Amino acid sequence: MSLEESEVVRLAHELDDAQTSARAVTGRPEDWDVASAYRVQRHLVSRRQSRGEQPVGLKLGFTSRAKMRQMGVHDVIVGRLTDAMDVPDGGDLGLGGLIQPRVEPEVAFRVARDVDLEDPRASVVNAVDAVAPALEIIDSRYRDFRFTYADVIADNTSAAAFVVGPWAPMRPLGNLAVRMTLGPQTVAAGTTGAILGDPLRGLRLLAGICRRHAIRIRAGDIILAGAATAAVPLTEGVVTGQVAGLGRVSVRVTRDRSGGGTS
Amino acid sequence: MTTTISAAAERLLAAARDGVPCPPVRDLIGAGDLDQAYAVQEAVAAARERAGSRVAGYKIGLTSKPVQEQFGVFQPDFGLVFDDMLHSHGGELERGAFLQPRVEAEVAFVLATDIETPSPSVADVLRATGFVLPAIEIVDSRIAGWDITIGDTIADNASSGGVVLGTTPRSLDGLDLAEVGMVLEHDGEDVSHGSGAACMGSPVVAATWLARELVRRGRPPRAGDVIMTGALGPMVDVPGPGRFTARLSGLGQVEVTFVERGK
Repeated sequence: MSLEESEVVRLAHELDDAQTSARAVTGRPEDWDVASAYRVQRHLVSRRQSRGEQPVGLKLGFTSRAKMRQMGVHDVIVGRLTDAMDVPDGGDLGLGGLIQPRVEPEVAFRVARDVDLEDPRASVVNAVDAVAPALEIIDSRYRDFRFTYADVIADNTSAAAFVVGPWAPMRPLGNLAVRMTLGPQTVAAGTTGAILGDPLRGLRLLAGICRRHAIRIRAGDIILAGAATAAVPLTEGVVTGQVAGLGRVSVRVTRDRSGGGTS
Repeated sequence: MTTTISAAAERLLAAARDGVPCPPVRDLIGAGDLDQAYAVQEAVAAARERAGSRVAGYKIGLTSKPVQEQFGVFQPDFGLVFDDMLHSHGGELERGAFLQPRVEAEVAFVLATDIETPSPSVADVLRATGFVLPAIEIVDSRIAGWDITIGDTIADNASSGGVVLGTTPRSLDGLDLAEVGMVLEHDGEDVSHGSGAACMGSPVVAATWLARELVRRGRPPRAGDVIMTGALGPMVDVPGPGRFTARLSGLGQVEVTFVERGK
């Protein structure tokens, strides 16, 4: 079901308020289409921009086959990143402004030049020039991460914060070991191969989705490729993500109300 | 041998012989008595050796923390690998030769020398290891519906079924097995992911645990033994005919095809 513009605006405000107040929303439409959900996302992000946030990139979601099967979908989803979500490598992130945050180890790509989506042969893979280890903090604005495919798209694919480690030249990424530690404890171990079999596959899917939903891909953008392991609840302490051959990235999680996603 | 131990062994041997899974053996030996369970494993092994099989190595099980938690234990277990369980990369296996097979990707150690020290260390294990191989383990349970406790699985030779060894030996020199990424594919689609770190932090740690346990139980590892060090990611069902390929970064790949003949 396609939503009226007024309903799109209302839902965007509701989700945005949930994020700024760190309180989950209660209701949402029973049945809505993906295009309407992307319209809500766009409105939600432009509301953040009207508060001064700058767009800095995109993120892919539902990049694991297990997750796709679980949700009964066959397509990845795209969310938008802003500078308010950007936590510097080694920086602090406060739990205070978040609802039910989880963290996942990922890789990030750097876009070197604008992608002309009017060109049917446009390649995002050819437009990226660097890759980095990354951590993504997701935080659903729906209680207990219970959502439908459309719900999570509207909620900007649960985007809350991200940390990007040192950039490195592009290289084969089909199977690099990934490890995430919380303090001394290894909390997740996997491989970049869990991201659609190869994170580059996500980049190949991105152009089509961005074209359908009028999302731009610009020089300087960061693209988070998707999770290499299952998400782990975020708690106080130092979280480190490590990708074999690429290096590591970390964030110090505190109880404060500060850092990404809480502006 | 007590009557309960021989009764449990007989139940498991009959299931293997007849190709019909049996009820658990915990009613005979208890759900969590490890020594009783290993006594049953020995009894089953003795019967196989009388029938002409030879011990060719060992397999370590329960090496992942989530699986240990599921079984309520804080250590791995082990079973025996017999010569008739060893298969080579690229071969075909009759699915019907197994009862309820599942597969997982692992690192196999092949020993160049005996390990005799009373309490072997990491150094002893590294010194004794000739080379490592990528491997697929076929796990199988003689117990109907995989309805197993820790006692049941140890008695049932740690739910072992078979081993498919890759053919590209690698030296451990300069190789960090914690940083081996793993992608397991079924007919070209990735179905399981993981890394060396998921196996007790590193397969070397698992191999060291095994060496100590074997020496303690009066069965020191010997030159030529194949040690299957434990799954790098979740095991998956073998649904029917089809090909499994395990890709282990830095170690190469190994492949096995299940067939159903005469059907």
